[in-house]
Amino acid sequence: MAGELTSMTTAPAGPDPTAERGRSARHAVPAVLRRVGVVLVNRTALLFTLLALVFIGVELLPGDAAHATSERGESAADLAQRRALLGLDKPVLERFWDWMSGLPTGNLGTSAHGERVTDLISTAFPNTLLLGATALLLTAVLSLALGSWAALRPGRRLDRTVTAASTAVFAVPEFVVAVALVLVLALWTGWLPAVTLTGADGTPSSWTMLVLPVLALTVPQTGWNTRIVRAALADEARAPHVETAVLDGLSPLRVLTRHVLPGAMPTIATGLATSSGVLLGGAVVVETIFNYPGVGAVLASAVADRDTPVIAGVTALAGAVISCVLLLADLTRDAVTGERR
Amino acid sequence: MDLTRRQLMWAGGAFAATTLLTACGGTDAEPAGSASGGTATPRRGGTLRVGALGRAAAITRDPHGSQANESDYLILSLIYDTLTVPGDKPNTEPRLAASWTPSADLRTWRFKLAKGAKFHDGSALTAADVVYSLRRLRGTPAGASRLPGIQAKNITADGDDTVVLVSDYANAELPLLTRLTTFVVPDGTTDKDMAKAPGTGPFKLDWFRGGNARLVRNDGWYGGNVYLDAIEVKIFENPQALANALLAGQIDLASNVGAVAARTAKGRSDIQTVRRPNDMAMPIVMRTADGPFADPKVREALRLAVDRKAMVDQVLSGYGSVANDVLGTGDPAYAKSLPQRTRDLAKARQLLGEVGFDTSRTYELFTTEDISGLAEAATLFATQVREAGVKVKVVKQESATFWDKTWLKGDLYSTYWGTNDSVVFFASKTMVSGSATNEAGWKSTEFDAAYQKAIGTADAAERIKFLQQLQKIEYDSSGYLLWGMADGIDLARPAVHGLPTLPGYGRVQLEKTWLAS
Repeated sequence: MAGELTSMTTAPAGPDPTAERGRSARHAVPAVLRRVGVVLVNRTALLFTLLALVFIGVELLPGDAAHATSERGESAADLAQRRALLGLDKPVLERFWDWMSGLPTGNLGTSAHGERVTDLISTAFPNTLLLGATALLLTAVLSLALGSWAALRPGRRLDRTVTAASTAVFAVPEFVVAVALVLVLALWTGWLPAVTLTGADGTPSSWTMLVLPVLALTVPQTGWNTRIVRAALADEARAPHVETAVLDGLSPLRVLTRHVLPGAMPTIATGLATSSGVLLGGAVVVETIFNYPGVGAVLASAVADRDTPVIAGVTALAGAVISCVLLLADLTRDAVTGERR
Repeated sequence: MDLTRRQLMWAGGAFAATTLLTACGGTDAEPAGSASGGTATPRRGGTLRVGALGRAAAITRDPHGSQANESDYLILSLIYDTLTVPGDKPNTEPRLAASWTPSADLRTWRFKLAKGAKFHDGSALTAADVVYSLRRLRGTPAGASRLPGIQAKNITADGDDTVVLVSDYANAELPLLTRLTTFVVPDGTTDKDMAKAPGTGPFKLDWFRGGNARLVRNDGWYGGNVYLDAIEVKIFENPQALANALLAGQIDLASNVGAVAARTAKGRSDIQTVRRPNDMAMPIVMRTADGPFADPKVREALRLAVDRKAMVDQVLSGYGSVANDVLGTGDPAYAKSLPQRTRDLAKARQLLGEVGFDTSRTYELFTTEDISGLAEAATLFATQVREAGVKVKVVKQESATFWDKTWLKGDLYSTYWGTNDSVVFFASKTMVSGSATNEAGWKSTEFDAAYQKAIGTADAAERIKFLQQLQKIEYDSSGYLLWGMADGIDLARPAVHGLPTLPGYGRVQLEKTWLAS
C-alpha cells in the first residue's frame, strides 16, 4: 500500500501549471499574494478532485467496509444492517457530499469501526509531520553539505565516491535500510530502541525512538538529493558569472556560496519539495517497521478495510501539507529568480 | 495494491533477522517453561508491558463492536468481564456467571451471577446490566453470529442475580457462546459514553490513546487475586516489530506473535516461548456442491495426497500438530479414535482413476496472506498433490477480494479459524445445511441429524456418542482437508510467569500473570 500513498500524495507534485507564469512574475508583494491566491485555488480544486477520486477509487475496489469489518458467520441480512449503519447503502456521490459537508466544521466522519476519524489521526498526523519534517531537514542539510563538498573537488576521487555512493544509497529501498538499522543499531549493539512506544499523550515516549525512523527515511532521500545538488552546482558552475568570479581569484568556497549556490537553489528546492511527497509515502513503510505511531500506518490499514472516511481524511491532510511545501518551493524559486533578474 | 510487496518485505526482514540472530545467538537451550507458573510463588507487583497486534485504522473502544485488533480485544477483556471464559476441561468456566443450569429441553439457561461483582466505579453489578449488555450485543450486526439462536427479547433478568437466556432451539453448548464476547457494561450506557464505561474486570482503565492503554489493578475484583500492579498494552502493526520490541527489551510479552517470531527468538536464552496448542485451524476447503471436487472420492484422494507432517514442519516451523480433517481439535469430545490419515499416493491415484478425474487440467487454489503461513501452506500443498497427479496453481488474493469473491463460492481455497475447542461450533458455523457460512457448500442429512441430536442431548455420555458420530461423518465426507493445527505463540521475558496456555480466546486472560522480581 506504500504505492497508494505515493501515488495519491505525489499527485500534486506533478507538472505545476503555475510554474511558467511564476517565472515571469515580478516579486513585488501584491504579485506574490496574487500568486499565492492562484496557487491556493488551484490546489484546493486539485484536492477536491483527488478526494472525489478517493471515494470513487475505494468504491471500485472489490469488497467494502461492511465486509471488511464483519465477522465470519454473519448472514446477508447482518451485512445489509452493517452497510446501512455505515451509510454504504447510499450512492457514492451522496456519501462524498456528506463527507465534504462535514469538512468546514472539521468533522472527518467516522471509521468503519465506529471511531471518529479526527481521533484516529489527531495525534498520528503530527507524529508523521514530525518524522517527515525532521527527515526533510536532515536530508536538506546532508545533501547540501555532501553535494557542495563533492562540487568543490570536481572529478576527483571524493567527488566520484560521493556520486557513486549517493546513487547506490538511493537505489536501496527504505525497508532494507530500516531492517539493517534495526539489526545493527538496536538488536546487536543495543544503542537505540528497536521500536517506537508511545505514552499517554500519543507521542513517542523518548526522542531516541525518532532516530532510527528518521534515518531510514533520510538515507535514501539524501542519496537522491545529493545527486540533484551536485548536478545543479555543476550546471551553475558553467555560467559566465561564475567563471568571472573564479578568474577574479575568489576562493572556491566563496565562489560556491556566493555565486554558484544561489543559482542552483531553485533546482535544489524543487528536488527537496518532491522529496516531501516521497517521504510521506516512505513513512507508511518506515512507520510499520518501527511501529511509529503515524498516519501512514493508519492509511495502510484503512485501505485494507475500504474505510473511505479514514482514507479521505488522511488524503486531505497529506494533500494540504504537500501543497504547502510545494508552494514554499515555488516561492523560493520565484524569490531567487526574481533577485537574479 | 502493494500488499504483496509489503508482506514480502516482512518475510524478507524476518528472514534476515532470523539468520543474523541465530548466528549471534548463545545457547540453543529453551529456557525453562515458566509459563505455567512452575513451583515459584506468585509475587504481587510490577507493571507488565504487553505488545499486541492491531491496525491503527481498525481501533475500536466498543466492547460490542467489531474488534479486528488483538490489542483492543486484550484491553477490553481486561476491563470488562464476560459471563463465562474458556477453560481446559471442561472448555467453559465461570466468570461473571458463577454457575448455570439448563432446563430439561436445553432451551432455557439460567445464569447465576457471581457474588460481590461490582463495577470499577463501585456500583454493584445486577442482572439488569447483563441483560442490557447482551441485548446491545445482540443488536449489533455481528450479534446474530455471536449469540446464535438467542433473540434479544429472550434475554431477561430474574431478580438481581439471575439472567435467563432462552434459545430458539435445544443447545447443550449455549454457555460456550457466552465466553469472551459478552462484555458487560452498566445498564443504559449510551454509545457516546461507551469508551468511558466502567467494567467489572480484573483491571481498570488508566488511559487509552491511539490503541495504547495503561490498566491498573482492580483491588476489589470478585474473581480472586490479581498480582500485577498494572498492564501497559502497546499496539503493533506487524509481528516483526513486535518481536523486535521484545528482543530489544522494550516489552515483556509479545502476545500471539506467531511462528516466524518464535523462530527469530530461538536460541535466545532470555526469551521464553509459550506454545498454546490447537490455536488455529488452516483448512483447505474443497467445494462439495458442484465442481471438480464434488465427488467424495476426489476429496478423499486429496486428503491422502497431502503430507501432513511436512506441512507442519515447513509451514508452521514445527509449531503445530498434525490434524485429521476434523475441525474442533481442542474439544474434550474430539474423536481421537478415528484413524489418523497419512500420505498414500498410490491410493490417491487409484481413487482419482476410479472417478476419471481430469488430471490434464490445472486447478486454481485461492488463498490470502491474512495470517502467516496460510499462503505458504497452499504452495506446499500444491507441490505435494502434484505427486498424486493433480496440478494445482496457487492464486494469492488480496484479503478483501478473497472474502468478497472466493470465500463460500470457490472450488478450492484455504481459510483459517480460531476457537478450536468445540466440534459443535464448527458444525453449526460451517457444516450444517442451513448455516450461513457453509464454506464447502456441504449438505448431509445424516450429519444434520447427528448435529441436532448432539446439541439436543443433555446426558453427557449419550451426547459424546452423537458427537463421535458427527465427527465420523465429517471425517469421511466433508469438504474440509485439515492437515494441521497451528500453535498460538507468545514470547515473553523470563520474569513473566503464569501466562495463559489455552488456545483461541484463552490468550487474553492475563489476570493470573505475575512478574518475578
